[in-house]
Amino acid sequence: AASRRAKMAAARQRAAGAAPPGYTALAVKFGERQRSPHCLLVKEHRVREGPGDAHPPGRTLFVLNVPPYCGPESLSRLFASCGPVQGVDVRDKPGPGEKTEKLSSKFFSRRTATGFQVAYVVFKKPASIQAVKALAEEGPLLISTDSHPVKTGISKWIARYADSVVDQEKLKTEVDTFMQDYDKKIAQEEAKAAQEEGVPDKEGWVKVTRKGRKPGLPRTEAANLRVLEREKRKRARKELLNFYAWQHRETKREHIAQLRKKFEEDKQRIALMRAQRKFRPY
Amino acid sequence: LFHSSLLRLQIEELLKEVTLKETKKKKIDAFLHEINAFISPAPPQLTDQTWLPGDVKVPFLQVPFDVKGKFRFLPPAQLSVVGSYLLGTCIKPEINVDVAVTMPREVFQDKDNLNQRYHRKRALYLAHIAHHLSKERLFGSVKFAYMNSNHLKPILLLRPQGKDEKLVTVRLHACPALGFFKPSRFHPSKNNVRTAWFMEQSSPKEAAHPTLQQLCDTVLLSHLFFLSTASTDFLGMKDDVALLKVWLNQRQLSKGLGCFSGFLVSMLVAYLLMKRKIVRVMSGYQVLRNVLQFLATTDLSVMGISLMKDVDASLPALADFHQAFEVVFVDPSGLVNLCADMTASKYHQVQSEAKRSMEILDDRMVDGFQVLLMTPKPMLRTFDHVFHRKHVSKLQSACKKIELMDRGGNYVAAALPFIVSLLARGLAGRALLVAHSLPQTPEWPIDAEPPKHKDVGPLTFGLLFVPEFAASTLEKGPQADRPEAVEFWNFWGEKSELRRFQDGTICEAVVWEASTVCQKRLIPEQIVRHLRGWATCGCTCALGEEAVVSIVCSYDDLSHKLWNLEGLPLTVTAVQGVHLALRYTDVFPPIPMKPIYSFHNQIRTKRLLLPSEEKPCPAYIAPLKIICHMEGSGRWPQDKEAIKRIKTAFHLQLAELLQQQHQLICRPAVTHTDVYKDGYVFHLQVAYHQEPLILKEVVTPEGMLKYQDTEESQQLELETLHWPYLTSSLHGLQQQHPVFGSSCRLAKRWVSAQLLSDSISEECVDLLVASLFLHPAPFTPPSSPQVGFLRFLSLLVTFDWNNNPLIVNLNAGLTGEQCTEIKNKFMAARSRLPVIFIATPKDQWSSVWTRERPSAQILQRLLVLASESLRALEEQLMDPLGSQDIVFCPPLDIYDVLIHLNSKQIPRHLESVDRPVKSFSRGVVKNSAGVNVLFPVVDYDPVQCYLQELRDAFSDLALFFYDKHGGEVIVVLWKPLSFQPFKVSNMKGRMVTTVNNKLVCVPNVEAILEDFEVLGAGLVKRVEARTEKWTI
Repeated sequence: AASRRAKMAAARQRAAGAAPPGYTALAVKFGERQRSPHCLLVKEHRVREGPGDAHPPGRTLFVLNVPPYCGPESLSRLFASCGPVQGVDVRDKPGPGEKTEKLSSKFFSRRTATGFQVAYVVFKKPASIQAVKALAEEGPLLISTDSHPVKTGISKWIARYADSVVDQEKLKTEVDTFMQDYDKKIAQEEAKAAQEEGVPDKEGWVKVTRKGRKPGLPRTEAANLRVLEREKRKRARKELLNFYAWQHRETKREHIAQLRKKFEEDKQRIALMRAQRKFRPY
Repeated sequence: LFHSSLLRLQIEELLKEVTLKETKKKKIDAFLHEINAFISPAPPQLTDQTWLPGDVKVPFLQVPFDVKGKFRFLPPAQLSVVGSYLLGTCIKPEINVDVAVTMPREVFQDKDNLNQRYHRKRALYLAHIAHHLSKERLFGSVKFAYMNSNHLKPILLLRPQGKDEKLVTVRLHACPALGFFKPSRFHPSKNNVRTAWFMEQSSPKEAAHPTLQQLCDTVLLSHLFFLSTASTDFLGMKDDVALLKVWLNQRQLSKGLGCFSGFLVSMLVAYLLMKRKIVRVMSGYQVLRNVLQFLATTDLSVMGISLMKDVDASLPALADFHQAFEVVFVDPSGLVNLCADMTASKYHQVQSEAKRSMEILDDRMVDGFQVLLMTPKPMLRTFDHVFHRKHVSKLQSACKKIELMDRGGNYVAAALPFIVSLLARGLAGRALLVAHSLPQTPEWPIDAEPPKHKDVGPLTFGLLFVPEFAASTLEKGPQADRPEAVEFWNFWGEKSELRRFQDGTICEAVVWEASTVCQKRLIPEQIVRHLRGWATCGCTCALGEEAVVSIVCSYDDLSHKLWNLEGLPLTVTAVQGVHLALRYTDVFPPIPMKPIYSFHNQIRTKRLLLPSEEKPCPAYIAPLKIICHMEGSGRWPQDKEAIKRIKTAFHLQLAELLQQQHQLICRPAVTHTDVYKDGYVFHLQVAYHQEPLILKEVVTPEGMLKYQDTEESQQLELETLHWPYLTSSLHGLQQQHPVFGSSCRLAKRWVSAQLLSDSISEECVDLLVASLFLHPAPFTPPSSPQVGFLRFLSLLVTFDWNNNPLIVNLNAGLTGEQCTEIKNKFMAARSRLPVIFIATPKDQWSSVWTRERPSAQILQRLLVLASESLRALEEQLMDPLGSQDIVFCPPLDIYDVLIHLNSKQIPRHLESVDRPVKSFSRGVVKNSAGVNVLFPVVDYDPVQCYLQELRDAFSDLALFFYDKHGGEVIVVLWKPLSFQPFKVSNMKGRMVTTVNNKLVCVPNVEAILEDFEVLGAGLVKRVEARTEKWTI
């Protein structure tokens, strides 16, 4: 036990400073009682700016190794000491931010990230990024404190179970509004298609659809295959089998070749079995 | 000539494997010459009984001891090799060379054929040779044994010295000179043992009992000549005898007293040749088929056969033999019955094996070679019930003296036919076959006393059931006024009583008490116990099977209600249950529950209960999943998001309608509706048959519509297509084979007890067990759960997962061509396919149930565990005194970390293997009656939530194992690979450190161990790190 404690102590020392180049390591613990901290690796987020990027360079902090119990709220609280936080984006893998797609529905959203994650913390001011580095010197950060407890274990699961029960009325109205929008959209598309029906475009092409007076073939893979199959059958019907002597010879030869092939295959299988000592009965 | 070219090649390989190589033959020949040189000049000696030196004991049970006669040793007249070695039909692994030592005429006196005098002289003769040879350094060992465990025929075993000791065993048979005894003395109706001598008292009548003293030895040489003439120019015979010997060995029929020995096989082939059933140009395979066909169709216990060429009036007729023996096969001399020791039941077992093998050979779907010749069939796995008779010495009192005399005092052999016939009669109609193990005596060193009759160990009896009748509680006898009734009454004794039946007849009947299926299964055991005081052994699992029936009733009712719901915009086309319990394979099927309100937190507005933090976790209520297919219509949208919404709308509406029209409490959600009915919770899910197709749609850049499998569509297909199909097929299988469900549950319990239930899908286990019932060859489909479980383990161990697909032909939906096609494609694409590949008629190429799990490492572990469990279980079943549940206790010593859980928060704690001593109130009462207003807590298992979080967070660092049926500990195994240095952007739970002045990433194990506790707050009792493998 003594050696283990010594090792733990050594680990604590190790974890404090080490960080790969470019990153700053921040020790972070769940609560006061825990002894060994995880370390968050943070650096400034630097990529070429695209239009509508949710992570503006200059004031975005890229955080690696976010523990599973550390959600967006905890992160924004942790970094609030460095300056006001605009938003936190937690995700499974690093990637371009497409935060623009707003969560359309409370009920039909995709599942949230779990396990160890990465996070993009967007500050309001660029100066906050530098302030973060100063955090490394202060002791380990605490995720769950008395004022802001984080639920884990039984209490979390009970809360989740309670959340999984949906409010029927709200769900119903949401579904109804979605379907109304959808119906409207479909109706619009159909009206547009009906307008374009049979009207040639600039170069004089007419678009043929499934609707209209002369429906065309559907453009699906299955339909294409069907057509090919039909052609093949037609050709096969026209052909005469074993009509000429050479055809006869050929089929015979093929038959023998097939038998030989099968024999070879069998031999290979036997060789394989022999290699595995499959013929020892006991 | 052969079934297929593959079979031919396989047989050739097998023969190559079992036959002797030339180099070995030379060694053996040399050894034989040396023996010859040693024995021939053995010194003559005139002796009485007292000459024997102390270090050699006579290999014969001398009861009664006193017998008249004088013995003196003379050098043997002739030494000659006989038997399979010369014919070239002797096979590995036990190579025996039989040497006949001809005793000179002068050794014997008149009337030596009487009162075992000949046998004693022969034993003394062998003892003398043994004494002579034991001084030589040439031999590795000199031992005695009984020929085929027949205690009247001692033989001397010689093994060469050094590393060749295992190579060969030379068996010395002493035999008298040809023509010394008059053949007429050995007529089956003549007696060669005087009753007065054997009983040691004068008995009033000297009945001429048929004697079983067969002097087979006299004709050893002539048999050899007979067989060698038969085998000349007949290559097929050599192959065939070798094949048949392998066949018999695999079925454990070729050793012990009354076995179907290799010699018998050779004689049988010779007989068929004589009768022109086979001709010399036939191949080994053809001969094999003919022999099996002959065995399958001919009952030698009714119609004996004889190798005699012409009828001789002075020789005994077949009828005489039938009177004296159970099975009759007369040798060319017309005097010796080759099957003298065999019991009729043993022969019937051989017959049924042959019949079964013929069926297998004709079936194109199975690999006949593998099944017939390569699969061992031990008794435990073959028979549905196995009984042991432990103290065989008690049998002595059960036999009549006269029977004993016939058998030369061997009470085991004398009692066997009687016991078997008793069993057969008592179990008539229930048992298809009653078989017994062959008593075997081991060899013994020459300075020890020969083994007694009771040393054969426990006798084992195997029963094969007729599944329909095995568990019936009533044994209906003859009508009361018939004469048979008395006989029936005599047989059953007190148990029999008069009963009036529905058709008005009054019959004698025996009723066995059993209320549940589980008890009913034990009825045969009851019967056997009644018939004799048996030491029995039958491992049973007391799991409620009635529970499933009530679930199915409730489910049927619900589906009717769904069909007839009014007010739905689209009609319900099909309702399909997919839950395990609905295919009878759930280890612990749900039982109706009613929650106690005070135990939970309540939300009145939503009318449901919540688990409470202060109280123990509520009992686990498993939702029974049901798929409800809706009618197709043009009004379904063609967009996947829209379909999801519509399905949700249906869930809401179903809940509303069920509540209005049938007063069922429902809890709708986005993906399903939970319905609380009769104490069960049904998990209702709406399906639209076009949806998987719409999920698959992909538009190529050219505007072409293509269908591609996506994860989502595969998942949906699994749920709405494969699951219902599997459930209905397995449900059908359960109707055919009533023990399918319980075998499967036993298998699953084992898997989860070994902590692997999360690593292998339940459906995979279902299919593995189903394959045992659908493709039982070379066995019959199991009729008891225990044998089903044993075969499940042996399937895991023996099946070659790497090179063969397991084809489970549910509902016989696959043809032979399809099977070959599957096999060929499998071989071609092996590396891309999952480690366990299971093909079913609806899922021929993808093996959906094993696609993700198990991984290669897990399979490896599973196989190791299975082989260990199988060994332990078989040992335990052969010796029932051992502890019971040993195979259900997992070894924990290989794991790195143990996470001990707080049993208060384990909802399934009561399901664990050893029932917990103290249990908690789980806030439910078992009750299905009454209308509830509040919805119970469903599908809430904190341990599973915890495991899910652990796996999400640490799956690339460690593996987590847990017994989901009430395990108290989660075990963790670090992945060795994850302790290698890693690239920075992928550092989940790792930390950066310097090793040799280089920055590397290593797992931050101390912090992770603390995370285990943090994540499972309230559930985890303590985390115990057992190894320190993480220190680098």
